[in-house]
Amino acid sequence: MGKAIYKVKGGKMIKIQLTLENKKIIKDLRITGDFFLHPEETIEDIEKALRGCSLSKEELVRIIKETLTSKRAVLLGASPEDLARCIIMAGE
Amino acid sequence: MIEKWRLLDTGLNDAFYNMALDEAISIARSKGIAPNTIRFYRWRPPAVSIGYFQSMKEEVDIEACNRLGIDYVRRRTGGGAVYHDTEGELTYSIIVNETHRLISRDIQETYRILCSGLVLGLRQLNVPAEFRPINDIVAHGKKISGNAQTRRMNTVLQHGTILRRVNPALMFRVLKVPSEKVRDKLIKSIEERVASISDILKRDVSFKELKEALIKGFESSFKIRLIPGELTDFEKDLAYRLKHEKYTTREWNFKR
Repeated sequence: MGKAIYKVKGGKMIKIQLTLENKKIIKDLRITGDFFLHPEETIEDIEKALRGCSLSKEELVRIIKETLTSKRAVLLGASPEDLARCIIMAGE
Repeated sequence: MIEKWRLLDTGLNDAFYNMALDEAISIARSKGIAPNTIRFYRWRPPAVSIGYFQSMKEEVDIEACNRLGIDYVRRRTGGGAVYHDTEGELTYSIIVNETHRLISRDIQETYRILCSGLVLGLRQLNVPAEFRPINDIVAHGKKISGNAQTRRMNTVLQHGTILRRVNPALMFRVLKVPSEKVRDKLIKSIEERVASISDILKRDVSFKELKEALIKGFESSFKIRLIPGELTDFEKDLAYRLKHEKYTTREWNFKR
């Protein structure tokens, strides 16, 4: 299981815990931290959408952005890029 | 005519009731059966609250809390872990409908607007308070207040704390630290980054004095009049239910 902590400059803390399949596909992950996300339960939608995703920054960012748009959700204190970066750190 | 809001002072309660009541008032407001409301409250026993997205096991030293008689609860708002001392801090909540003139579509801007009531109130006390994005209020560059917001059912809840006195050593006894070696370092760093209003004014500021100043700040910044009021039976019953069915449950508190 991989773990990473990333402090966003001028923003909040992101913590990722993940397990991979074949060392490159996300099997499961948990995003925790002191950021803000409205509505809050969108975090579970993001986690779900990222399962089966590969550890490519572009793909992670695209899926996170798509989930935010479809749920009309707003992330504050961290960006989709920050989340993706921390996920990749946890996977390495 | 000046707009009237309800003012509640619910005094000392446990963490689970405190969080349940913020949600119950928000639900009542969303149904149109409660007015826009500002509530003051405190925590007895002392408690740690964690943000919606945090992990209880990773943030809180549960064993230390149990030993010291300190409660722990998950909030419905994001943000970080906070130690709520019974004597050391005052907590407030603002519950207002989302279409109100004070609420912007931009969440960051709404923090600034709602925190301006606190900033003005603290300045009444001669604390040189300033809003610092994302969600803090500082004086002399040190944090004196943390705030968190959620929007649901067309209602905005913002709650936050104002430090009246600060006890970094106790704070780090209940919050998890990466290792014992860094505990002293963290305590020192908190002493450099966080201050209470009593530290800043170099005198003891009473809860009464603090609340009176904040009331003036909210009234003048929000252009409202705060009328002391009571909880409705609906809110009391719902808070009781939410406390027992949500905020005291392991399922909620350990869900992440």
